[in-house]
Amino acid sequence: MSGILVYSEKQQLICEMLGKARQAADKVAAVVLGESVPDYAGALGAWGADVVYTVSSPLLVGLNPESFTDALAGVIEQVKPDLVLVGATKSGLEISARVAARVGAGVASFCVDFSLDEGSVTADCMIYSGVGKNTYKIKTKPAMATVNPAVFTPVETGGAAEVTAVNVPINPPALKIIEYKEKAAAGAKWEDAPMIVDVGQGMRSKDDLVIAEALAALFDGQVACSRPVSSERDWFPEWLGLSGKRVHADLTITLGISGSIQHVVGIRDSKIIVAINNDENAGIFSQADYGVVADLHEFVPVFTAALKTRSAKLA
Amino acid sequence: MKIVACIKYSLDASEVKVDAASKELKMAGVPFKVGVIDKHVLETAVSLQEANGGTVHAITVGPAKAKESFREALAFGLEDVTLIENPLEGQVAPDVTAVILAAAIKKLGNVDVVVCGEVSDDGFTYQVPPRLAEALNMPQVSFVRTVAVENGQLVADRDLEDSVQTVTASLPALISVMEESNTPRRPTLLEAMKAKKKPVNIWNVEADLGLSIAELQQKAALEKVHAEGVVVHRKQQIIKGDDLNALSNELVDLLLADHVIEGGA
Repeated sequence: MSGILVYSEKQQLICEMLGKARQAADKVAAVVLGESVPDYAGALGAWGADVVYTVSSPLLVGLNPESFTDALAGVIEQVKPDLVLVGATKSGLEISARVAARVGAGVASFCVDFSLDEGSVTADCMIYSGVGKNTYKIKTKPAMATVNPAVFTPVETGGAAEVTAVNVPINPPALKIIEYKEKAAAGAKWEDAPMIVDVGQGMRSKDDLVIAEALAALFDGQVACSRPVSSERDWFPEWLGLSGKRVHADLTITLGISGSIQHVVGIRDSKIIVAINNDENAGIFSQADYGVVADLHEFVPVFTAALKTRSAKLA
Repeated sequence: MKIVACIKYSLDASEVKVDAASKELKMAGVPFKVGVIDKHVLETAVSLQEANGGTVHAITVGPAKAKESFREALAFGLEDVTLIENPLEGQVAPDVTAVILAAAIKKLGNVDVVVCGEVSDDGFTYQVPPRLAEALNMPQVSFVRTVAVENGQLVADRDLEDSVQTVTASLPALISVMEESNTPRRPTLLEAMKAKKKPVNIWNVEADLGLSIAELQQKAALEKVHAEGVVVHRKQQIIKGDDLNALSNELVDLLLADHVIEGGA
């Protein structure tokens, strides 16, 4: 096929990529891979897919990179698209690069925009963890690109998709999953929150999260965090930033965030950013609209009280 | 057991600034160093060696002038570092890097475990480890938190968004480690002294690996046609002082003026 093939193990990300693919190409297809065909496969037609290719196999479990690479590479070799978009989850990053090496494709990593013109793909990509943006011509067919969540917007087309099972060989993998521990669900979705309180390593203890929660609660917001607060302190199952989630809040208030670019990428689409940090030289102040130089543990309760007093809606 | 650590002389991306008017990326004077993630790579490789015996060799693709930057890496307890001179202009692309590293690992021979970082400090594509695993036809375990060799096979915890999986893989195998996987050791002065005697071998892709520079050029699938900095305009207004009530009211005034919040209380 000429056109775009979309793959992710996340339904939401498939719909987002379909939204953009539909604008860029006449022919758009999605791939779903798994032990069995998921219920939503046919419904992807309503989000812009003309065809949904499915591969089901007992080997397609636990996002085993070898099996998923065999399946996706097999579909690409049969379908022959111009461009393959893969959702930039950890599994997506892993198998897209391995598939690319197998099918001889160039990959535009963390693509934020692209065009497809008579089979030729040009892609804009984030570089240096978000400091800059490169535009590349991808010289291979297929071309490939990885796409972060919430970069593109799903568009409901109300169309219908033809669902086609594809037979591809999947070899028994050398990697075997012997224990699968599901992570605790993160609760409410940060990406959809109107307001975010973003907690960094400047917060002293987990008990202090109550002041962040009280502030967020005024706005029906969510409390989120930086990578070390999640990965080292284990206060939250996920984090904001280049390697984590990205938010688009009307207001983001950072507490004790130093402001590395890898983190700021996760919050810089917010309309207003307020930074609270006791270090006047913290990099976050150059990335914020308003910076308060103060100890967050002392300032936040006073500020929360002031908001309640002075705003009828927040009272 | 023969362990190869893949490391990189990386640009310090946190030092790249953007000219707000022209959107130009200011690259002059941006320092290079062995990547932060690479210390975790070396720690993993040396820990595996300590537990299982054998040798650790680091390999890298980069400019010959980087040679002296690998002294600290050698002090982790490596046998040697092999620096394959980047045959192309500028930053070497992930598709090309993987081909070169694969040829070098094949030349080293009888490698049991290849250790990579999940992502380089500067390239940030996540492409090299899976591409390398594919070129070497090895199983890969990505986003590794813990790793050991037990009964002749690799056992590792793999950290994905929704799950942590304990997996096994037959050897030889490739792993990519996360920065959370360990706390890198700080080599002692004695180890640093000993490391001065260890070699940084320089290899040429054509003479030592039998690759063709012309073919490598062809493999670079992405052609850069434009680059610009991302400029985010923020007001950057700082408020400070000792009176927390005054600070709070000042911030509320600003948010009211921006219509982020409504007044009327």
